[in-house]
Amino acid sequence: MKRAIRILSRNPLSALGLGLVVLIVLAALLAPWIAPYPDHNGAVVDFLNNNKPPSARNWMGTDLVGRDIFSRILYAYQTSLVLAVVVLAIATPIGTVVGLIAGYLGGWTETILMRVVDVFLSIPPLVLALAMMGVLKPTLTNAMLAVTAMWWPWYARLVYSIARSEREEGYVLAAEVIGAGTTHIAFREILPNCLPAIITKMTLDMGFVIIIASSLSFLGLGVQPPTPDLGSMVAEGANYLPDSWWLTVFPGLAILIAVFGFNLLGDGLRDVLGVDR
Amino acid sequence: MRSIVRLLAHRLLVAAVVLVGVSMLIFGIARVIPGDPARIALGPRASAEQVADLRAQMHLDEPIVVQYGHFVADLLRGDLGTSLYTNRPVTTDIAQFLPATLELVIVAGIMMIGIGLPLGMLAARYRGRFADHLIRLVSLLGVSAPSFVWAVILVLLFAYFLPLFPIAGRISDSYTVPTVTGFLLVDTLLAGNIRAFGNAAWHIVLPAFALALSGIGQAARLTRANMVETYDKPYIEMAQAYGFFPARIARIYAFKPSLIPSLTIIGLDFAAMLGSAFLVEAVFAWPGLSRYGVAVILRKDLNAIMGTVLIIALTFVIVNIIVDLLIAFLNPRIRHSTRSSA
Amino acid sequence: MSLLDIADLTLSFKGLSGLTEVLHGISLSIAPGEKVALVGESGSGKSVTARIVLGLLQEQKTARIGGTVRFAGQDLAALSPRDREGLRGTEISMIFQDPTSYLNPVFTIGRQFAEVLRRRDPGLARAACEARAIEMLAETAIPDPARVLGSYPFQLSGGMNQRVMIAMALANHPRLLIADEPGTALDVTVQAQTLKLMRQLVDLHETAVLFISHNLGVVREFADRVYVIYRGRIVEDGPTAAVFGDPRHAYTQALMAAVPRITGDGLPDVPEVSEAFLAPKVHHRLRSGRAT
Repeated sequence: MKRAIRILSRNPLSALGLGLVVLIVLAALLAPWIAPYPDHNGAVVDFLNNNKPPSARNWMGTDLVGRDIFSRILYAYQTSLVLAVVVLAIATPIGTVVGLIAGYLGGWTETILMRVVDVFLSIPPLVLALAMMGVLKPTLTNAMLAVTAMWWPWYARLVYSIARSEREEGYVLAAEVIGAGTTHIAFREILPNCLPAIITKMTLDMGFVIIIASSLSFLGLGVQPPTPDLGSMVAEGANYLPDSWWLTVFPGLAILIAVFGFNLLGDGLRDVLGVDR
Repeated sequence: MRSIVRLLAHRLLVAAVVLVGVSMLIFGIARVIPGDPARIALGPRASAEQVADLRAQMHLDEPIVVQYGHFVADLLRGDLGTSLYTNRPVTTDIAQFLPATLELVIVAGIMMIGIGLPLGMLAARYRGRFADHLIRLVSLLGVSAPSFVWAVILVLLFAYFLPLFPIAGRISDSYTVPTVTGFLLVDTLLAGNIRAFGNAAWHIVLPAFALALSGIGQAARLTRANMVETYDKPYIEMAQAYGFFPARIARIYAFKPSLIPSLTIIGLDFAAMLGSAFLVEAVFAWPGLSRYGVAVILRKDLNAIMGTVLIIALTFVIVNIIVDLLIAFLNPRIRHSTRSSA
Repeated sequence: MSLLDIADLTLSFKGLSGLTEVLHGISLSIAPGEKVALVGESGSGKSVTARIVLGLLQEQKTARIGGTVRFAGQDLAALSPRDREGLRGTEISMIFQDPTSYLNPVFTIGRQFAEVLRRRDPGLARAACEARAIEMLAETAIPDPARVLGSYPFQLSGGMNQRVMIAMALANHPRLLIADEPGTALDVTVQAQTLKLMRQLVDLHETAVLFISHNLGVVREFADRVYVIYRGRIVEDGPTAAVFGDPRHAYTQALMAAVPRITGDGLPDVPEVSEAFLAPKVHHRLRSGRAT
């Protein structure tokens, strides 16, 4: 771990990524203490100060009901990060197990499981999530559910392709020869070889889940007000372009910076861990 | 050639299986809806009788398997049901809105390939140098924001701040073009109206670019990675040993072998733009499937939701088949193989 | 006058842990039409020498090259990169060890052959390229050359690809042919056939050859003169018969002793490093066979 961090920080772009990610995680964690207006997290109104451009008082201006945009972005990072972590924490194990089973067992199990995965992969992620949000109530939990439902197949496919090629490797054969059980081979022998690719993908996916989740709320089908969310902040402000540009530009840049950080870090990890897919 | 026909047959079969799966998935999603779809459709003020009528009409009282049977039977007849939002057949609605979305996605796809591949090629050829680092940074930025953020930034910069492009819409109101295909870029040409074509093209630049940006970044990164790998191949050393010009090696000898593995993913990215189009259309008030899709989702208009998702899945599957054929065409190993490859 | 004259060539790579020296001052010359072998184990610096002659390593940022390489009297270092490039594929060409992987998998042989021919003659029309390629392929005893031109490398056998590569290498009548372990990846019998063919053709065209190999049996058959290279230094050189008949340097002796008796093929299993291997160079003079 320490070694990985040292190698990462040698490449300036990876170091930048690591820095951005640490910064954003800290910002989200410490939001209640560092936000200039911690109470602007919720349904507060301050019509005397509404729709104000950036100033010394409100660094990124105020929104239509007078809340400090900078404070809301800090809280919105909490929402985004929690959502992304929960989605990946559920989707990754599911996809990994499905991919391992399909890739190692082969035969009919492989055909059926991978066809199911194909079905999920043949609908653009955002559209599937939209369709699910169409029948569910737009809440944070349901948004997580919808994004998770469309996310696991990508891990299944990744792990499947590795497991299938590892299945032919000598060490798997050796384990089979000494009579190791299926579960043992799949989880103790093959899974460790998939981990670098999984970890890299999870890092990159933190960014992509943030993109998808903010897209849902941008269309009004995700997290609902007054919970601060970057996507809905951009959507609200989009109607007031170009005069109240700060309403959209700052939340938009906030998404860009967070995703950019995870992408840089993921790219760096890919090089460090020697992942080629 | 025979192997291509066999490949196509195999792909069509897989596509059919996938589409059946998609129909089940969508049907499944539609049926987990909490509450009574008929009641939701009719609103709280409808009488119990009206609701019961609609339930019967929608086969809601029959077992779920039978319901799915009705759904598939209607589907095969090309009947996606009636939209409760527009009160028209869903197929009519889709036929009206889909062309605008497809037009946007196709133009964005052309931008993705036309800009992304050359950028990746340049980065690979000058790997490790300034141009490479710059292209890497730019393409990573491209994939790091949802398309609605790019849309907002582009509008702000190139429509408001520098008024180079229109703010919204597909074409200025002063032009009337008879609808033939629904693709304005085609219809204006069919009508022989060059000025209208120019106007439509001018309108599509910003939304298509906003939609294409992450695809451009993805395509550039992928092309670079695959080409860097190809540059280590013996046949590139051979080309260098024979003194072929570096630009020619990059453009032809390294590019074509590395394009083949990139294409599958580029196809997926292309199809993913069908989803992102929803976001871009919202910013540019583009009269495509998105506004319809979001409207029917908000109204829980089940027939319309299922129809929209099915059409998008169908387009996705078709794009993948086209990409597979393209790969077969580019890769002599597949084209000349005697047995079908899975 | 010699065609190729390498004097005191040094090469080192700049890596993370400083400079790694690969060549420590190599001198070597080849007369027009002469077949010269450079023999050594892998990692001894044979292949990098070939790549410096072609000017390929000069373009690598990490490579530091010293000494001079003269081709037909011209100092390669004094030439512009463009002029150096101009020699490749026309005056100097190269044959590689694994023909199948050195041919581009997604273009037909005909397409690749045409590209080689246009190095000499940029405006050559397609039909002319094809005619010339067929002529060259026929020279390498390929049956049905027209079919081969329309094929992809993966559709041909390794031996067939090797013939294609020989035909390509000689198509522009180069003055120097560099053969880097040609056909090592092929079956022994196929390798022997193609080497015999290559020898006939270079004799016919009076092409000088720098033959790089670890295979003493093959070298003995093929070369007029031999240079033995060990860890970036030439340890012994002279006419083939003299070096093989009377190896003087400890490394050469070890190399010869390690050759399997029956086939003369395979990697010589040279013993561990010995002080004697680092002894000064032994030179056999032409004809006399006596070492100086």
